[in-house]
Amino acid sequence: MDQGEAKSNENHSSSSSSSSGDSNPCPICLGPFLQESYLDSCFHKFCYNCILQWTKVVAGKHSRSPSSLKCPLCKTENFSIIFGYDGSSFQRQYVNVNVNFEHSSFFSKAHKYRLKCYYTEPGILSNIVNVSRYWKSHKYLQPNRWLLSWLRREIQALLQEEDVEIIVHHILGVVDSFLKRGDQFHQMKTPEAKQGEFKTLVSNAARPFLAARTERFVNELEMFLASSFNIQAYDEVYMQQLGWNIPRVIGEAADAERGEHEPVIPYLYIFYDDSDEAD
Amino acid sequence: MQASRARLFKEYKEVQREKAVDPDIQLVCDDSNIFKWTALIKGPTETPYEGGVFQLAFSVPEQYPLQPPQVRFLTKIFHPNVHFKTGEICLDILKNAWSPAWTLQSVCRAIIALMAHPEPDSPLNCDSGNLLRSGDIRGFQSMARMYTRLAASPKKG
Repeated sequence: MDQGEAKSNENHSSSSSSSSGDSNPCPICLGPFLQESYLDSCFHKFCYNCILQWTKVVAGKHSRSPSSLKCPLCKTENFSIIFGYDGSSFQRQYVNVNVNFEHSSFFSKAHKYRLKCYYTEPGILSNIVNVSRYWKSHKYLQPNRWLLSWLRREIQALLQEEDVEIIVHHILGVVDSFLKRGDQFHQMKTPEAKQGEFKTLVSNAARPFLAARTERFVNELEMFLASSFNIQAYDEVYMQQLGWNIPRVIGEAADAERGEHEPVIPYLYIFYDDSDEAD
Repeated sequence: MQASRARLFKEYKEVQREKAVDPDIQLVCDDSNIFKWTALIKGPTETPYEGGVFQLAFSVPEQYPLQPPQVRFLTKIFHPNVHFKTGEICLDILKNAWSPAWTLQSVCRAIIALMAHPEPDSPLNCDSGNLLRSGDIRGFQSMARMYTRLAASPKKG
């Protein structure tokens, strides 16, 4: 974070070194930090790619993938990598999830597809779903009976965690209590004001858990509600829009090999790429 | 491949810059192959290796630094953890305990530390290990010193 500061304090890097940050390099590549990442116990800093590659090497040495990683610098046991810190939020990736991700029982193809969606451009369904009409025509007053299942899957996918019931019910409670407020409230406010208030409330409820992905999550939630599709229809339309022809993602058993329509996915899926990281 | 090359180049620059910092280690990269290095290390003081200069050969894998370099003694040395014929070194950080934060320079330092503190319970050189384990320190030291004189001492004149 304070790389600039640290650099200016240390002045022993030779004049010939062109790249800044040489005086305080990543311990693995010895180059300047690319996408700073921290281990969760000792807080030693690495490039995201470097520490991820090392995690993979360590995992490869064990028959069962380990749940912790010894810091290359101090040997402290760490359980996750903290990255994407932007001053207010960060992302976290667990050591065992990295490797075991595909084999863990709850994490189905459908979860994977939902997670991938978060790496695509937002507004996938905006041609199809009319969000402003949803607010104008009071469509939100009709209950959505798929919301619980949709939320559960969404949050499981984002957190890569099986037991998310507390978070799901927390967010569901906020959504429900907003949508079911008395008529008086709904008639007083403009659709835009209602929409804004809804987004603020849900964002505040979700942010402690979803951090940097909160905004996108709230947009996806609004889109799902406004579509009034059931989950299957929603998935089909969504993938159609993305141009991913993965038929029947919902059929969890059918573990077809990954399609060729992979979007460019920066973080998690870097793992599938066995060739050396970008030169 | 590209990553290991880039990292070795960084180490190369670091070695050039800090030549004087550790006078006991002289690391040299092969002129034509950045994956081959040799090092000259001074035998640590107050050990039978004192006064000797030992040559190490490094062979760096393409997966470096995710995989450790292979290192062996080119100079004959009588030490429980170094194979007397091949120069192979038994040192945990070159195997299971490897960490990508090690550098060729720090590996040299670890090898100097190993010279000063042999581990006779995991010997590659059984004769040497047995001398130490049976408590014959004098026997071990005189053998080690003899080989230091024979093989590791700079030729005079």
